[in-house]
Order: sequence, then structure tokens, then C-alpha cells
Amino acid sequence: MSKFIVIGERISVTAPSINRAFAEKDPEPILARAKQQLEAGAYYLDVNIGPAESNGEELMQWAVKLLQGEFDNVPLALDTANMKAIEAGIAVYNRAKGKPIVNSADASGRIEYVDLAAANDAIVIALCNGDGIAKDNDERMAYCQTLLERGMEHGMEPTDLWFDPLFLVTKGMQDKQMDILECIKMISDMGLNSTGGLSNNSNGMPKHIRPIMDSAMVAMAMMQGLTSAIVNPNDLRLMETIKSCDVIKNNTLYADSYLEL
Amino acid sequence: MPFNRKPQKFNASIREVEIGVGEKAIKIGGENVFPFYTFDGDLGNTPKVGVEISDLGLDNPVPGISAYYEGCTTAAEMAKKAAEMEGADFLALSLEGGDPNGANKSVDELIAVVKEVAEAVDLPLVVEGSKNVEKDSELLPKVAEALQGKNVLILSAKEENYKAIGAAAGLAYNQKVGAESAVDINLAKQLNVVTTQLGVKPESIVMNVGTATAGYGYEYVVSTMDRIKAAALSQSDATLQMPIITPVSAETWGVKESISEEADAPEWGSREERAIAMEIETAAADLMAGSNAVILRHPQSVATIAKMIKELA
Repeated sequence: MSKFIVIGERISVTAPSINRAFAEKDPEPILARAKQQLEAGAYYLDVNIGPAESNGEELMQWAVKLLQGEFDNVPLALDTANMKAIEAGIAVYNRAKGKPIVNSADASGRIEYVDLAAANDAIVIALCNGDGIAKDNDERMAYCQTLLERGMEHGMEPTDLWFDPLFLVTKGMQDKQMDILECIKMISDMGLNSTGGLSNNSNGMPKHIRPIMDSAMVAMAMMQGLTSAIVNPNDLRLMETIKSCDVIKNNTLYADSYLEL
Repeated sequence: MPFNRKPQKFNASIREVEIGVGEKAIKIGGENVFPFYTFDGDLGNTPKVGVEISDLGLDNPVPGISAYYEGCTTAAEMAKKAAEMEGADFLALSLEGGDPNGANKSVDELIAVVKEVAEAVDLPLVVEGSKNVEKDSELLPKVAEALQGKNVLILSAKEENYKAIGAAAGLAYNQKVGAESAVDINLAKQLNVVTTQLGVKPESIVMNVGTATAGYGYEYVVSTMDRIKAAALSQSDATLQMPIITPVSAETWGVKESISEEADAPEWGSREERAIAMEIETAAADLMAGSNAVILRHPQSVATIAKMIKELA
């Protein structure tokens, strides 16, 4: 098996400094966060430019060129509700280090993102979700099937759809956590890849608790076959857990310095 | 259903390392397929064969080796003869005479031999230490210094002395560093990691992951090399993408099958034939498991392995 793929989530308009940097086309804050994440072990970087309705195409191209130019064609996940912006970003994207990721499709209103990924030989994050959150795993897997068929109809490799079971907040939906983990197992048993915004599980918890919950969640999810996650790679405890799980799963060969790699 | 041939493709490859200078320089590594999987893709540089001589001259040699080096009185003369051997790509000079538990030659004495040999031949040179950790920490940096500009491979930096040897060979004098572990995959990886952390470029490192003689716990050697190549290629593990060199003869000429004279073991037949067989079998298996270069002694072994490589690659 190959190594768990960490997608760094910190270049996002939800962070005020990054929002401002995108608005003003100021490279510094974006490059600084990219560097921190890559040094901490991120492989892909998520680039969330927000809805970007007016200038999305130009903004995404600027961001892709900026990041890939500075960091040796770092692979990116292009994250926006503006489909044209994703397509524009892919047009200037260098694939040397990995295909671009389209973030994201679902089985309902956003199913065309699968078509977009297929047309551009990209990976797509496919949320096992329709209108509203799936009520159980039957529903999740039905969405998964819909998305998979859509991708294959358009000529995609099944492994280029990375299924997101949609991690749910523990505070309030504690009884659903094992469902999510079982869903990951079902996806894994089909030989498919998976990913997701894993830290959603610890949303609303105190700051010092979140790395602990996220680490526990990633270890259990990796046991179930999760192949990737969209996380904060600067969470040291989480990254140490991921690297240790990669060793235990034999995804990477152990060496005494494995945490430094 | 018709057979549909599907080549095994990797996105990673083994690094290419160059040893020596000028026309005779060799490159090892560069492949992005498993050993000799020519049906899958590019083999990179074909594996290379080295001839080993020692600062101590010939020790208890078999007739074929004595005859080959007949008339040679110095290491330099032996080096010249070795360089002409059919199938030889490089020369390996062992400084075993430096071992404090043996001849315990001084560093200065050994450096004189090293210089003499380096001047006598234009084949790429691999210099093997005394195998004593303390002595090598002193000796091998001096070897790296004395051979500046020759782009030699220094064997070896171990866990206990990689800092001294790695820094001198890989950083100060721009030679190639051999990172030695003894059939231990985790240590092989760790040594590459810490040597790189010293500042030695990955393309200046060659691994010696150790070997056993065929029949002497050899399965571990195969699984070690297999696992290293699998991690390097299928898991794209950059810390294991260094080519592998295996000093075969140092192992095989020490086992009883290679030492016992025919008079002592008549049922085993000719000592020379046995010793050659042990050397060839081990080298062939090392190459099949992933070695990018092997070091041998007997002219017949060198010629046979060189021919095998030529026909398979």
C-alpha cells in the first residue's frame, strides 16, 4: 500500500489573513502557509479561494502558478464553488508531482464536478452526500455508487474518485461516528480511495483537546482503510500519529528517524 | 480471454551514481523496474562487476588466482593486472592490512598503497576499509583526501562512524559514500537518512546492505534487498532510492567450502571449483535480488558474472 496522503487545508478564505491575501493578490501570507504545511509533511495543498464568482478564473490561475512556481510543482486540490475557476486552474497546472484534485463533487447538485474531473484527467473528491446529510450507510453507499458510475461513464479510473464519507461533529452526533468508520471500510473493501475533512469530528471542542481527538480518529480511520485526509499538517500530534500508522500498516519502511521524514 | 501483458510501471526510479572519472567512469542505478525485469521497462545502467585486490597481496590463494597475478610484487602491479581482467568494470582495493587485530599497518603506510594503486589504473576505484570501526574513522577520511578528484567510492560508513567518514568523503572531498548496514532494512534506511541529514547529497550515496554467502542465512539477504527495492520503487521512498553495491568475495572466500583444501575434504572435490561456485552463486543471487554492483576475486567468477549480466540485461 502507498503512504497516507495528507492534503493541507490551511490555504483557505476561511482564514482572514488568507482571505485578505487572495483579495489583494498578496503572495506572502499564502506562500508562508504553504511552506509551513509542506515542511510539516503535507503532500497536496488545498487551495480554497471561496465562491470567487467574479474573478475566480484569474484568481485560481494566479494561485496555481504562484504555488507551483515556488514549490517545485507541488500538487494541489482546487477548492471553489466556481467550476470555471477550477477548469482555469487545471489549464495552467503542472502534473509532474500528481494530478490536480477537484474539490469537490456530491451526488446531487455538485455531480457535474465529476464530469469536470473526467474531462480534465483530474482526481475528484466525491462526497457521499446528496441533499442533506445521509441518514445511514445504505444511503452513503448509494451516493458512492451514483458518483462512481458517473465517473466511470465519463471514462475515469475508479481510483481517481476519492470518496469522502463526510466526517461528522462528535459533539452532537456522537452516535454516528462508528457509522462513518464503517463506511470507510466499505469504500476500502471496494478497492477505492477515500479522504475527508477529518478534523470536523472535533469541531467545537477546546483547542487542546482537538489534536487528541483528531489523532484518535485518524488512527481508527486508517485502520478502516482511509487513504487520505484534508487536515492541518501543522498539528504535530496528528502528523506523528499518521506517520506511526503508516509504519504499522507497512505503508512505509520504519527507520529510527521516521518522524523527521 | 487473450493474455493482456501489463508492464509494472513505477513513478520512481533508483538514483544514478557515477564512480570514477574519464572514459572508464561507470554509472550504477537509474532503473525504474525490478532487477532484470527488462520486460517491464528501462533497466537503467546494467549492473557492474568489480575485481577485489588487497593491500596484503594474496592470502592463501587458489591456483587460478596465483597464476593470474604471477610475477606481481606490489599492490600497484596487482591492480594493473586486475584492471585487465575480462569483465572488470571497476577495481576494489581492500585495506584489510589496517586492522589493528591483524597486520595493523599505519594510516600513512596504507595511504601510500592507495595512491600507488590509483596512479597505476584508470578504472574507477572503490576503496574498502579495514573493517575496524575506529581505524576506518581515521583511515577512510584520509583516503578520501588523498584521492581528491578521482571520484572514488569509499566503503564504508557505518552507524558508528558515518559522521567522520560521510563528512570527509561526501562533503569535504566530494567522493561517493558507501553506507553499510548488515542485512538490516531499517538500519539501511536510517543510515541513508542521517547521512543525508549531514549534508551529503543523495546522489553521492551507495548502499552496502550486506550479504551472506549462499546457504548461510541467505534468505535474509534476498528479503532485505527485495524490500528495499520495493520501498524505493512502489512506495517512492526517496530515502531508499540509492543503488546497492555488494562486496561478495569478502564473504564467500571465508566459508568452509572455499577454505577447506581437497586433502582435508576429499569428498568435496577441488577447493578452487568450490570457491568459484560459491562466489558465482552468491553474486548471481545478489544481482537478482537488487545489487547494482558486485565485488569479486576470481577471474572465472568475474568473467562468468559479466557474461550473465550481458546476456540478461
